[in-house]
Amino acid sequence: MKCIFKNKRISAVISVVPKEEYRFDDEYPLVKLTADKAKRFKKMMSLDRHRIAPPDVCSSDLCVYGLQRLLSEGTLKKEDIGALVFVSQTPDYFMPPTSNVIHGRLGLGHDVVCLDINQGCTGFLLGLMQAFMLLEISALPKVVLLNGDTCSKQMSQCNRVSYPLTGDAGSVTVIERCEAENPIYMDVKNDGSRHQAIMIPAGAYRNPSTVETLKLHEVEEGIMINDEHIHMDGAAIFNFTMGDVPPQVEDILAFSGDTRDSINHFLFHQPNPFILKQMADKMKISQAKLPNNIVSIIGNCSSVTIPMNMTINCGEQLQRESQRVCFSAFGVGLAWIAAVMTVGPLDVCKVVDYEKA
Amino acid sequence: MDKIKFYEQLAKILDIEEVKGDDVLKDFEAWDSLAVLSVLAMADSTYGASIKADEIRSVVTAAELANLVETKSKK
Repeated sequence: MKCIFKNKRISAVISVVPKEEYRFDDEYPLVKLTADKAKRFKKMMSLDRHRIAPPDVCSSDLCVYGLQRLLSEGTLKKEDIGALVFVSQTPDYFMPPTSNVIHGRLGLGHDVVCLDINQGCTGFLLGLMQAFMLLEISALPKVVLLNGDTCSKQMSQCNRVSYPLTGDAGSVTVIERCEAENPIYMDVKNDGSRHQAIMIPAGAYRNPSTVETLKLHEVEEGIMINDEHIHMDGAAIFNFTMGDVPPQVEDILAFSGDTRDSINHFLFHQPNPFILKQMADKMKISQAKLPNNIVSIIGNCSSVTIPMNMTINCGEQLQRESQRVCFSAFGVGLAWIAAVMTVGPLDVCKVVDYEKA
Repeated sequence: MDKIKFYEQLAKILDIEEVKGDDVLKDFEAWDSLAVLSVLAMADSTYGASIKADEIRSVVTAAELANLVETKSKK
């Protein structure tokens, strides 16, 4: 489904990472990889290090820290927050919604919309879309989009493939109205018939948590997981990313009237460097325009990979000037969303380390 | 499709000297989900062959894999 939003813009992005950094070279013996296999895997995935939140730090903590930084640095005022949209697959509780918990922690007034969205990889773009829709309510000043994912808590540490690729992070994006028309082009697609390709099969209400669902079983050598961990069908996901995503990117460029040359940055979700490079090659997008370093230095932090990408790779530039950006996100659902818009100059576009209050 | 070249590429993915047509894929120490991913990528970029997850699971030998890639090849 294609749509256009007008007179709206992103005004600030801050991403937050836990301080705890772990190097692949130190970790691979723990996931029971031999030195030989580790070397091959490291090369294939360009692995180096990742950020993992300690057990007592939740996605919401990372988001609240980012939000408090924006408030204390004067980028955002409490009274301008008209809505909190929290997109995550690692909420604090099943209920209440984490956006309400965050609302309480910040001591916001009552005239605020609180909304949790359960989405992963496409969570930043889906959250943006929701923010643009909320801004149609004229009484609502600004929308704060919170993306937080501590996927390491859903990942088996005995999964030699997925665990080293995983990272934890949060981000805060401020969205507001603007006088300039600034058309934003989006395309949203979903295919629920493939929902089993990425899933946590148990622990909610279809298959409640039991002793059985917590038992580790071997999927293949070196991959021990239980039914409350993330399960991934790597080959099916590969088919999806190579088959469905490139045509959508072509489509959105045609829809917005852009070309590979008119776009300054292709800021894509980064599941892992191998698959993203393969995709970039297939789409004939130069690597200089399509950063692919987040998994190597932070890990795949699900819905936060795109804001992380913005702050780490284009932070200073986006604070200084406007850039034409093509976004693409794809994953759990299966869902895939693409967008083209002009971003910047932003009030803030930076990454910070989380500090416990 | 140049099958000799294909076996060379497969050998490189599996980090071994040589692959023969009647070799059973599962018998290779390095034949795991990452090797499968590498084969899918190689088939796609070198031969324009889009191979489905369940198709690659159903092949047993290197020759069967080569045939699958050749059938699906668009180059």
